[in-house]
This record gives sequence, C-alpha cells and structure tokens, in this order.
Amino acid sequence: MEPMDIVGKSKEDASLPKATMTKIIKEMLPPDVRVARDAQDLLIECCVEFINLISSESNEVCNREDKRTIAPEHVLKALEVLGFGEYIEEVCAAYEQHKIETLQDSLRGGKWSNGAEMTEEEAVAEQQRMFAEARARMNGGAVAPKQPDPDPSLES
Amino acid sequence: MRQAGAYSGILCGGISGRTGPHLLPLARIKKIMKKSGDDVKMISGEAPIVFSKACELFIEELTQRSWLVTMQGKRRTLNKEDVTSAVLATDIFDFLVNLVSET
Repeated sequence: MEPMDIVGKSKEDASLPKATMTKIIKEMLPPDVRVARDAQDLLIECCVEFINLISSESNEVCNREDKRTIAPEHVLKALEVLGFGEYIEEVCAAYEQHKIETLQDSLRGGKWSNGAEMTEEEAVAEQQRMFAEARARMNGGAVAPKQPDPDPSLES
Repeated sequence: MRQAGAYSGILCGGISGRTGPHLLPLARIKKIMKKSGDDVKMISGEAPIVFSKACELFIEELTQRSWLVTMQGKRRTLNKEDVTSAVLATDIFDFLVNLVSET
C-alpha cells in the first residue's frame, strides 16, 4: 500500500506552524541567506508528507506486532525501515531527555511525596531505573513486554 | 554527516536545547498522524514527541541539501527549485518526488 495513495487528497486541516518551521529552517542556514516563500511552503509540505509516511509505516509495524497503540518503538522501527536510521540516535536522546523532564515535573508536583520527601539521591536512582527500563524497551525491539506497561504517560 | 560548521559558525550540536525538548506542537503532529490513514491505531502520548524530533531532523537535512544546490548556483536565496533538486538527488526522499513535481 502506497502511503501516498490518499483518495481525495486535499490540503490537510492540520499543517505545521509556519513560524516554527521557518525558525528551524533559518537556524540551519547562514544569517544572510534568504528563503523564498514558495520554498518555505514546499519544505513545510514535505514535512507533513514525512509525517504521513512515517505514520503509515509505524501503523504497519504496530499491526505486525499485534499492538493496539502506536508506541515510540514502532516509530523508531519505521524510521529505520524507511532509510532514516541516522535519525534514531538523536531521536532516542530527545525522547530520554523528555522523560527526565517529565519525571522532574512530577517530582516537583509532589506526586511522590506523601508528606515524606524523596532525597536527591533517591530521585536520581529513580531516574536511572526508568532510563534502564526505557532502554530495555527500546532495545527489546520486536519483543512484546510480558507485563502491562505501567507508563502513566500513555494515552489513547 | 551533518556538517553544520561548514555553513554557519553559530550552529553546534542540536538546536532544540535552546527552546526545549520539542519545538513542534504535539497536538498538531498527532492530528496529522491520525489523518495519514483510515485505520490508524491509537497513538501513545509519547509517539508525537519522537515524531517532533524526527521532523526537525528531516527538515534540517532537506534544508541543508537544498542549500547546497543554492550554493552551487552561486545564489544567496534558497528557492523552490533548489528544494526540488535536493529531493530528486536523495534516495530516501523518493516519497516526495510526486509532491515536488506537482507544485
């Protein structure tokens, strides 16, 4: 199935914010370089198409593993399959970074405390444990985890 | 592979460190993901985060390659044809060939 065979392909309601995209584009280039407006628009369209492509493949990966929810691992596999394997390392790093920050937020929000507070060492140890889990999940690849995923950030 | 230093002395490492882990709005990404097919499954809360970073990298690569074409033409304005050339010259961007030739 060709990911691009979308019947009645119309301009999506959802596109990516132009300002943010322009910022990313400009940051890649020397300051005195101009980007034509139609080039900017085309770059944005390409990015949306990229999301479509990876989404379709992620969906397939998810299907093959008999899962109901598209998880980051499926997206990573899709990237590899489609030739974007180079991105995986940085994407993983960003993902882990996000997990740290989410953990910090929930720690600050007092989620862990019932009056007693976690010391910094305990918090760091907790972080390390979660990294190890995440890494194991990543490296597990196609292997389905035996226990239900306790990750609270999963949503339907 | 990415030689940011060749083009700009400012760039080093990732750019997302400055403004936060992800620049692109996750809700928007999720919407696009849902529209990408008829039978798209449920999407975990974390998948858009992975997408956000992947998109960033994708745009960076496409921009860089387009810019190479611009430079070869000894110009300082990156135009649409440069993007088209970059797409046609890169295998993994094959999925974009129809998109760039119809506009």
